[in-house]
Amino acid sequence: MTARPTAAPADHRAGEPINESEAIARLRQNADPSQQYYAAWWLGRMRSQHPEAVPLLRDALRQRRGRDPGAGIEENAVARNAARALGKLAPAATDAIPDLLAVLGDPDDGLREAAARALGDLRAESALKPICQLLASGPNQAGASRPDSPRMMEPCEALLEALGDIGIADPAVLAVVEPFIDHARPLIRSAAARALLQLTGEPRWGDLLVSLLNHHQLQVRRAALMDLGAAGWRPALESIRRTPAENSLKLIALRGLVEQGCGAPAEDALLACMDELL
Amino acid sequence: MPSPVPLNALIDQLRQASSSEALVLATRALASSGDPGAAPVLVEVLGYNNPGAAVAAVDGLVALGAEAVDPLLRLDPDNYGARAWAVRALAGIGDVRGLELLIDALGSDVAASVRRAAAKGLGNLRLDPLEPPIRLAVQQRCLNALLAAGSDGEWVVRYAVAVALESLARQLEPASVAWQRLEECLVALCEAADDNPPVVQLRARVALDRLDAQ
Repeated sequence: MTARPTAAPADHRAGEPINESEAIARLRQNADPSQQYYAAWWLGRMRSQHPEAVPLLRDALRQRRGRDPGAGIEENAVARNAARALGKLAPAATDAIPDLLAVLGDPDDGLREAAARALGDLRAESALKPICQLLASGPNQAGASRPDSPRMMEPCEALLEALGDIGIADPAVLAVVEPFIDHARPLIRSAAARALLQLTGEPRWGDLLVSLLNHHQLQVRRAALMDLGAAGWRPALESIRRTPAENSLKLIALRGLVEQGCGAPAEDALLACMDELL
Repeated sequence: MPSPVPLNALIDQLRQASSSEALVLATRALASSGDPGAAPVLVEVLGYNNPGAAVAAVDGLVALGAEAVDPLLRLDPDNYGARAWAVRALAGIGDVRGLELLIDALGSDVAASVRRAAAKGLGNLRLDPLEPPIRLAVQQRCLNALLAAGSDGEWVVRYAVAVALESLARQLEPASVAWQRLEECLVALCEAADDNPPVVQLRARVALDRLDAQ
């Protein structure tokens, strides 16, 4: 998994500290999308439990559709931040699952990506089928590079990770994920291995992630660290200790081994390694 | 064994490094010389904005120990990047002259990675050589800084606080007020809460169990 960009406030006013009621008010108005954009981010970041947060975020996700696609980037950006925030508010945001499913078909692949991650955070079983449909054409089509940008036809990394997070090891799901193990991009191979490891617990997927810790690109080693942590693959301990990458990321990965994993090496060995890396 | 390369040659090699890779290699060579004369140059490397070289320089400075402290403390406080690495080096060295910088970093640095290193360092200061009244005063300052950081917003800093409190406790009188305050903080870190992840709770629990068994 690559580090998810934290959407930063768009203008100088938006950067000032605000409180929860101010965030709710900014999201409710719709004259200034940049205010909504910041408010949506804030509510997710602060894990707001305000009763109006989820309904307003759902509105923000919906209000984008039906608008003039030429109206500028702001409407898209508000919807993306609303989707991310709904994921962070899981499980309280379960009511938003139908809205997130609806934007999985949106023409904006950035919004599809944010929606997929949020559905994964919400463990939304109803998302399995639509996500598998987006990936079904496999690495050569869904995973093909666009002619005009470094992005792929579908946001494969987010879609694969969502399948792992939802956690239903249905044979149909595994059949969709497995071909991505041979994708040309190592980050996609890492996301596929992570999902398969979470779904099946089979050591071969953990071994594949461990082998990516030896990749020559730092970006790939970082992704493999995050994916091993998300899957809690404890046999990776020594490889995590040795891979050349920031201690901050190793600590996050080891936290995942402690919290998501089980078996050997035991917790005292994991904690001893974390203590060393501080 | 190869004959040792003179310090000047190692320093020249470092100053003439023409690529990021070459700088990392030259820093490693200088760091492993074990020569106290290397310290000011290794400190200089901390400000080069080259993480690989900075890691090697920190390792070298920690290995030099007390000899590296003065050059580290002379560092320009406005050079943020270099200062963050210096905190890591001072945390590793454990010399009490680093106290002020570590307390300041733990309380106010913007980067969680620097605060966590500072916390660990405050648990690792070597206080045995100090006169008892001074030692008590220093322990008190370490303890106060760590207790305040027990409510840091980042889990990794609180994790480091649990580790540091465990080391600090080993130097305190078990029945003292200080020991009691330290234990209260660990108990609070054991508590389940939305923003206190299981790994922090577990580490604090392990610390309490080990201190109980002492």
